[in-house]
Amino acid sequence: MAKMQKFLVYRNKGEGDIRYERFEVPLRKGMTILDALFYIQDHFDPTFAFRYACRGAICGSCGITIDKVPDLACRSQVAEIKKKKKAENLPVFHFGDHANWDEENEILIEPLPNMPVLKDLVVDMDNFWKFYKKIQPYFTREYKDTAPESVQSSKEMYTIEGLVYCILCGLCWACPVNAKNSHYLGPAQLAKADRFIRDSRISEERQKQILEQVLNDDGVPACEKLFICNRVCPKNVMPGTAINDLRKNFAKKYVKRKC
Amino acid sequence: MRVEEFDGVIVGAGLSGLRTGLELSKEWNAAVISKVHPVRSHSGAAQGGINAALGNLPGSEDDTPRAHAFDTVKGSDYLADQNVVMFMTEEAPKIVLELESMGAPFSRLSSGLIAQRPFGGAGYPRTCFAGDRTGHALLHTLFEQCIRNGVKFYNEYFLVDLFKAEGRIGGLIALDMKSGELVSFRTPYVILATGGFGRVYKQSTNAVINTGDGNGAAFRLGVPMQDMEFVQIHPTTLYGTNILISEGARGEGGFLYNNKHERFMEKYAPNTMELAPRDIVSRSITTEILEGRGFENAYVHLDLTHLDDQKIKKKLPGIREICIYFAGIDPIEKPIPVHPGQHYSMGGIGTKFDSEYGETDLPGLYAIGECSCLSVHGANRLGGNSLLETSVFGRYVGRTLLMKEKSPVASLDSIEKAEKKTIEKIEELLKRWNSISGKNAVEIREKMGETMNKYLGVYRNEAGLKTALMVIQELQKEFARIELPTDDRKYNFGLIRGLELRNMLDIAEATATAALWRKESRGAHWRTDYPSRNDTDYLNHTMIYPGKDGMIIKTKPVKLGMFEIKERQY
Repeated sequence: MAKMQKFLVYRNKGEGDIRYERFEVPLRKGMTILDALFYIQDHFDPTFAFRYACRGAICGSCGITIDKVPDLACRSQVAEIKKKKKAENLPVFHFGDHANWDEENEILIEPLPNMPVLKDLVVDMDNFWKFYKKIQPYFTREYKDTAPESVQSSKEMYTIEGLVYCILCGLCWACPVNAKNSHYLGPAQLAKADRFIRDSRISEERQKQILEQVLNDDGVPACEKLFICNRVCPKNVMPGTAINDLRKNFAKKYVKRKC
Repeated sequence: MRVEEFDGVIVGAGLSGLRTGLELSKEWNAAVISKVHPVRSHSGAAQGGINAALGNLPGSEDDTPRAHAFDTVKGSDYLADQNVVMFMTEEAPKIVLELESMGAPFSRLSSGLIAQRPFGGAGYPRTCFAGDRTGHALLHTLFEQCIRNGVKFYNEYFLVDLFKAEGRIGGLIALDMKSGELVSFRTPYVILATGGFGRVYKQSTNAVINTGDGNGAAFRLGVPMQDMEFVQIHPTTLYGTNILISEGARGEGGFLYNNKHERFMEKYAPNTMELAPRDIVSRSITTEILEGRGFENAYVHLDLTHLDDQKIKKKLPGIREICIYFAGIDPIEKPIPVHPGQHYSMGGIGTKFDSEYGETDLPGLYAIGECSCLSVHGANRLGGNSLLETSVFGRYVGRTLLMKEKSPVASLDSIEKAEKKTIEKIEELLKRWNSISGKNAVEIREKMGETMNKYLGVYRNEAGLKTALMVIQELQKEFARIELPTDDRKYNFGLIRGLELRNMLDIAEATATAALWRKESRGAHWRTDYPSRNDTDYLNHTMIYPGKDGMIIKTKPVKLGMFEIKERQY
């Protein structure tokens, strides 16, 4: 007999009725939380809703909260959840009443914080994408398909490499600023701005345009330097560090204001 | 019912779909619909790179599109359409430079030019890359440009069925996953860019969402599936999860070892070793495991430990992260356990002979990217050519369509009729699933995956293929009587997965049908009972059509004439 793992799972049809449901899933070697969610969907309730795609930690679909820690379901091993050291000093997230959670034995599954729930673990990311668009995350130079390409040194490329790897999963929206200010642009969005501003191929004018978007009150100045984003980011993008970069190295250059 | 009208609709928001959407939206009222948010598309998981004869590395300056085409045709075991390959390789340098101009963060050489690395089956180091997360870099870049240009997206819309009106495409019915309602998209042009369908196999590097929804919908309208027997089994997928371990790991100098610590590729491809084409490396690894020289009878070692730590950290950071997250191994210290797994489908939605690239037999319907078969990969795809295919043909189809009339071709009356009939059929299906107490769809899906794995892997034979076909046909019957709650359709993923299985069963059956018919060994299709290539009888594309009593097999000629057909040796 396979060893069983107990789960306590947040359920919500999107109509305000929140409940927590218990499931027991047979463990197998290498089983991830995403595998366990699929097991629940396949064997207990086909309408159980959660987002997924690549199952290899590159698409950013499956962000959820596991035992009160935001993470990607696909990169989290079931057998490790209770053993591994948790990210420290995270805010307390509240999704519903689970007073009877057996913390020692049950893995608690909840949606991502600070986003409205549409159904079960599926959250509304409309604001996430709206603010992503707001920072204008793109090059505006003309397309060109003839040589030579624009030259960039390896060193210049490496300054943006970490930022480029952001998968837009939304885990960093666990930030308490997102919790209290629904207009805060968000760590991923500001890090994306830094990715473009830092790119040696971008013009000063374009740098300035993007900076104008992120230096308003709901952008860089709203960040409280808590660095929760750095701690929960699954790709080591370090959004908080990127926001600091914008604050220290670019804000003064263009807007001559303190953030 | 909600109705949307467009000059053209693209299904799928990976690299192919985004590139088409970007082009079409310049002048047309076009929409991209996708069952996931665009940046979740599986193009983003591509690791190694994109091929183009840029000749950026010192010593490779004399690389040419023609040399690239030759490598591609040879790699395809001479089944690729040579004119289409030549078009792709000539477009390659342009498309890579265009992506760079859009802001793609490519890795760089000390000259500051786009970095290139060697890849299997290629005569020059022509694979351009962004670390080992090239697909992610390109997907985000193209999405950024779509945002910039205001491309219209319908995210979390699932393509259920296409419909015809007056002999051409009339539009499609999609399920809005958020609201649960069926929506009709009326349009005279549909471009299918739904990606791969590796999930017909139990073990695949593909995303869970790679289920061939475009392929199933087109097939139900009578559009054939082409070259389905050619399924790329990638040599190095992580043991346990089958997550891809890029060919780039071998390109950067990784070795393959068996349990005797022998670099066994010496026996199979003495000149190219680990960088022989994928079909050859996959067969070699499988043979080693079958003959008892694997670890735990299941995998071999991909060893990077002799490489410089910094090289792994800088050029293969994604691979390192995958190994740490999913296998608890740091490749700087320990070899990676790998075994072959389904990776890519050379076959796909059949295209018209001697036509616009991507055009199908159904007027107004186009297919590009992995869901299609153009055919640029023939019987075996070279690494770095799939990302290339997506952008090249995405741009091409967009440009080609912009030269056409965008006004509706069918009358409103016939469109309304076709739309109504299609919706009625869908409602009937969902009602049936909801009411009968029948089989669990999950069991059918699992049985299908196991069958494909067992009989349609690296080595195939008559008896196995017959068994596979029989089992799949039986599963088709069982599928007609599944039980699935379909009343509440809002984010009903059980329903989505049921609709995906509907597409995958047709794909599985077509694959087994084609593999049984092809009594020769070519590229990725290796028959132990017919171990050599037979150009006299089988230098043809396989075209599988739906029929009343089982699937119908036809053929289509291969476009030859540029490169002489030879035996394929490495």
